[in-house]
Amino acid sequence: MAVMRDGDLTPGILLTLLRAELAAGIYGLRLFIACVAIATAMLGAVWMLGDGLSRSLERSGSAILGGDIAVSVVNAPLDESLVARIAENGTLSRVAELRTSATAKGVRAPVEMKGVDAAYPLYGKLVLAEGSMADFQAAASDRRPGALVERELLARFGAAVGDPIRLGQTEFIIRGVIETEPDRLSAGRFLVGPRIIVGLKDLPGTGLLAFGSLVDFRYRLKVPDGSDIQAALLDLRNLTPEGGWELETPKDAGDRVRRTVDHTTTFLGAAGIVALAVGLAGAWAAANVWVSRRSRTIALYRLSGATPAVVVALHGMVIAIAAAAGMAFGFAVATVTTVVLMDIVSARLQLLWHVETLAIPALQVAGVLVLGLAGASSAALSGAAHLSPGAAMRSGDAPLSSHPRHLAFGAAAMAGAVALAIFSLPIPGLAAAAAAGLVLAAAVLGLCGWVLARFAMRRQPRGFVGRVAMHGLAIPGAVATKAVAIGIGIAGVTAIIAAQNSLEVSLRAELPERIPDLVLLDIQPHQVEMVRARIDGDPGLGDLQASPFMRATILKVNGVPAEEALRLPGKSWVIEGDRSFAWSAAPTGAELLAGEWWPEDYSGPPVVSAEEDVQEAFDLKPGDRLTYSVLGRTFTSEVANIRKEYHRTFRPEFLLVASPQPFREAPHSWVMSLEGNTDDSVDALIRDLAATAPNVTSIDIRKIVTRVIEVIDGAVLASLAVAATLLAAGALSLASVVAADVDARRREALAFVLIGASRMEVAMARLGEAACVGALAAVLGGIAGQAGGYWLVQQALRVDWSPGAVSIVLPLLLGVLSALAAGAAGGLGAVPRGRGQVARLLTS
Amino acid sequence: MPDTTEHNRGTATADALEPPLSEKQGAVAMKGARLSYPTPEGEIEVLQGVDLVVTPGEIVAVTGPSGSGKSSLIAVIGGLEVPSGGTTCVLGLDMMTAGEQARTRLRRRDIGVVFQSYHLVPAMTALQNVALPLILAGESSAEDRAAALLKRVGLEHRLTHRPSALSGGEQQRVAIARAFVVGPRLILADEPTGNLDQRTGQVVADTMFSLARDTGAAMLLVTHDPALADRCDRTVAIDGGRIVS
Repeated sequence: MAVMRDGDLTPGILLTLLRAELAAGIYGLRLFIACVAIATAMLGAVWMLGDGLSRSLERSGSAILGGDIAVSVVNAPLDESLVARIAENGTLSRVAELRTSATAKGVRAPVEMKGVDAAYPLYGKLVLAEGSMADFQAAASDRRPGALVERELLARFGAAVGDPIRLGQTEFIIRGVIETEPDRLSAGRFLVGPRIIVGLKDLPGTGLLAFGSLVDFRYRLKVPDGSDIQAALLDLRNLTPEGGWELETPKDAGDRVRRTVDHTTTFLGAAGIVALAVGLAGAWAAANVWVSRRSRTIALYRLSGATPAVVVALHGMVIAIAAAAGMAFGFAVATVTTVVLMDIVSARLQLLWHVETLAIPALQVAGVLVLGLAGASSAALSGAAHLSPGAAMRSGDAPLSSHPRHLAFGAAAMAGAVALAIFSLPIPGLAAAAAAGLVLAAAVLGLCGWVLARFAMRRQPRGFVGRVAMHGLAIPGAVATKAVAIGIGIAGVTAIIAAQNSLEVSLRAELPERIPDLVLLDIQPHQVEMVRARIDGDPGLGDLQASPFMRATILKVNGVPAEEALRLPGKSWVIEGDRSFAWSAAPTGAELLAGEWWPEDYSGPPVVSAEEDVQEAFDLKPGDRLTYSVLGRTFTSEVANIRKEYHRTFRPEFLLVASPQPFREAPHSWVMSLEGNTDDSVDALIRDLAATAPNVTSIDIRKIVTRVIEVIDGAVLASLAVAATLLAAGALSLASVVAADVDARRREALAFVLIGASRMEVAMARLGEAACVGALAAVLGGIAGQAGGYWLVQQALRVDWSPGAVSIVLPLLLGVLSALAAGAAGGLGAVPRGRGQVARLLTS
Repeated sequence: MPDTTEHNRGTATADALEPPLSEKQGAVAMKGARLSYPTPEGEIEVLQGVDLVVTPGEIVAVTGPSGSGKSSLIAVIGGLEVPSGGTTCVLGLDMMTAGEQARTRLRRRDIGVVFQSYHLVPAMTALQNVALPLILAGESSAEDRAAALLKRVGLEHRLTHRPSALSGGEQQRVAIARAFVVGPRLILADEPTGNLDQRTGQVVADTMFSLARDTGAAMLLVTHDPALADRCDRTVAIDGGRIVS
C-alpha cells in the first residue's frame, strides 16, 4: 500500500486505491444498493408517471377540447347566424355527439357516435390503425358514406374494414379503425360504448337527430396564430344565447382530468415518500454497517499513512459507485413501469406522450436521491474519518464515532430530500402532512422503543432465556432502531391496505344491490307504450321505470346569475352546461328532504323538484326560484321540494324534475330502466328492439358493471403492488439494522455456547427479544398505519372509512414475520454452526 | 469460597443412549484424535492424530507455535467441534458419538473455558456474566454465588460494571470466575494471559492456579509463556496437529 502523507489526496492515488477496492467488489454494500434501488424505483415511478400525465394533459389541453375555445349545446344545434358570428373569430369545426346503437353482421351494440366536419380535428391528429382518411372522406361508388370505428367494435361485430354497418336509417361502410381520437375526453362523461365517427353531413340521413334527441352539438374555434384568445373568448361570452351554452377553454378540459390525476399522483406520491424515507434510513444503516465492518481495513490504511481525507474520499467514491448502481437499477425498473403504465393510460385517455419527456422528472428524482444519499452516507464517512489507526490492533468491529456536526448534516440532507420530494407533488400540503405523520410515527416508535429498553434494563428474569432476551432489549438504542425500521414499513403498508380497502368497499357499495340490467335511451313518445307492452308481456323482465329525458341549463337562482349564486365551488358542475331534466306528475320515488310534491293533476305554471346537489350548490329551499333553459326556451319556476340523491344506481337520475306542463308537449325522448330475471330475456328484448325500434339505444348495464368491477380490481392490484414495494423497503431497512449488530451477536452467542448454553436456548432468547420488538412495532405501526389510512381516506380519497379486517391482522402478522426474520438473522444464525466455525471464531 | 462442585461430582454426563466411558481413562483421554474442516482452499486437517491423557486434578500446559492446532485441541475437548477421527473421551463422554445436547450439558456442568479474548457478554455486568452459567444450571442463588466468586478473584468492587468499563486483567478475572462458578471438573484455558502485561498476567495466573488447586479441577492450559508452563504439572508440545513431546 502506498505510504501517504498530508497532501496525498491526489486523483492518481485515489484512482489506484479505488481500483483495488473495486477489484475486491462492492458486495459488502449490497444492502445499501438494494435500499437505494427500491427508493429510486418507487419514487422514480411515481414522480415520472405523475409528471408525464400532467405534462401530457397540459400539452393536450387544446386537443382534448378540440379547439382554443368550444361551445356546446344539447338537443338542438345553434342558429346558423350565431354560428357564422362565432366563425368570425377563427377557424370553426362542428361536431355532434350522441349515444345510439349500431348493427353489423346481425349484431347490435350501443355506440358513442360522433359526426365531424372536414375541419376536424383542429388540434391533434386522428390516427388510424387501419384504412385511410381519404377513403373515409370520399363517398363510395354506391354513395354509401364511410365510418371510422374503434377496434373493440369490430371485435364485437366480427366485422372488418370494408364491411357495412347500420346507424339509424343509414348504412355506412367501415373505412378505418381509430387508433387515437385526440378529443376523446371532451365529452367529460362515461362512454357507454365504442366510438364510431361519421361525416357530420351524413348524420341527418340517419334520422337520429330528431328534435329532442339527446345530441351534443359542439362548435370548436381555432383562433388564428397571433390573435388574442381572450378577446375571442370575450366576444363569445357576449354572444351567449338566452338559453345558455357551455363555454370551455383548454384549461377547463385539462383541469377536469387533472383533478383526478393530481389526487392519484399525490396518493401514490405519499407512498413514494414513505419508500424514500424508509430507503434512506436503510441506506444510512447499511453504510454504517459497511464502514464498521471495514474498521480494521480503514485502520490499516491509516497506519500506512493515509490521511482521514484520503479515507473519506476513497470510501465516498465507493459509496457513490454503489449508489449509482442502485439508482441505475431503480431507474430501469421505474422507467419500464412508467412507460408501460403511460402507454396504458395514454391509450385509455387518448393522450399523446413521448418517452423523452421522462428525462426531466428523472433528473429531479436523481437530484433528490443524490441529496438524500449524501445525507445517508455522511455518518458512515464521518465515522471512517474519525476511526483511530489503533483499531487495527483490536479484534472485532470498531464502533463508529461520527462527528455530531456530520450527523446533523446527514439528517438535514435526508430531511431536505424528503421535503423536495413533497413539494414536487401536485398537492404538497397533502404530501407534507403524510410526511409529518411519518416522522411522528417514527418518533413515537423510537420513544416507545426507548421506554421498552428502560423497562428491560430493570427486569431480571430467573431463567437464562428470559434474562438474555431482556439484556438484548436493554442494549441502548437497539430496540428503538429496530422498532422504527419494522414499524414504519408496517405503518406504510397498513395505511395503504386500509385506504385501499375503504376505496374498494366504497366503490363496491356504489354498486347497489339492485342494478338495472338494461337502460333504453331515445325512446320516442309514440314508442313508449309499445316498449312498455313488450316488457310487461315477458315474465322474465320487470321493475320497469320510465321517464322523459331532457336536458336543462340552470341560468339564475332567485334572479341572481347562477355563477354568482353558487355557494359551494365544489358543486360548480351543476351549472356547467346541460344537466339531466325530466317532468313527472307523480313523485319519482326518491325521498323528499324538504317541501311537498305537486298534485298529480297540477296544471299551473311549472314548479320544480331539485336534487340534493342543486340544493347544496345554492343553499336552496322550497319557495326559491330557479331560472333554467330547456330546448332553447327559458323558464322560471318555484322550487317545490328537495329530493335525496342516490349515487350510481345506474338508473337515470335527474337534477331537476318539473311539473308536466308545458314540457309534456315538447319534443323529447324517454328513458327506461328494467331488470331481467334471466339473461336470455334481456338479450331477446335487445334483439327485438333492434328490429322494431332501431332508433332506441340499448345500454347493457351488465357489461358496464363488469367493466366497473374490472377497474376496482385493477385499483386493488395497484394498491397491493404499492404496499408490497413498501414492505420490501421496510424489510431491507430492517435487514440493514439487523446486519449492524449481527457480528456482535455472533460473538455474544459464542460466549453463551462456551458456558454451556444450547443452540435452542440462544435461539429462544433471540426470538423472545425479537418478538417483543415485533409486537411493539406491530401495535404502534398498526395504529400509525390506521391513522395514516384514515387520513388518506378523508383527505385524498374522500370515501367512507372502512379499513377491513386485513388492515388489523396484517400489521400483527408482519410484526411476527419481521420478528422471526430479525430473530433468524440476528439470533439463530448467530450461533456458530458447521465444522470449523467455532474454532475459527475462537481464534479470530 | 462456597463449594460449587458438589452438585455434579460423579454424575454421568452422557445421554441415556450414550453409555458413559469409565472415568479411569482420565479427565481427558485422546487417542489418534483428528479434526478437519472445509476451507475455500479445500479440506484441512488441523489435528492429525493427537494422543493425550489428562488425569483428574492434573494441570497440563500445552505449548506450540501459532497454527499448530492448540485452539482446535481446546475446541474438540470442549465439545465445540466434533472430532473427525480417533477417540476423544472427556470426563467419560465419547465426543465422537455424543450428540450436541450431551456435549452442551457436559460443558454446562463440568467444563469451564477461559480464552485470550475473554468472550464476555458486552451488555451484561460482571456479576451478570458470572451468574449466567449458574442460571443456565437452574441455580436459585446464582447472583449470590457469582458475587462470592468475584470477591474471591478480587473484583467485589466491580460487580455492576460492564466489560467495556473493566481493564483487560479485570475482564479476564471475570472470565475466570465465570469458568469456575459452576464447579467444573475440567478447565480449558487458551492463552489466558496472552493479552495482559506481565504483572497483570501473573495475578490472573495466580487466580487460576489457586482456584484449580482448591477445586481439584483438571486444567489444560495453552500458553506461549515458559514461566507459566513451568507452574503446571507437566507440559506437552504440539506442532503440525500432533503432540511432539
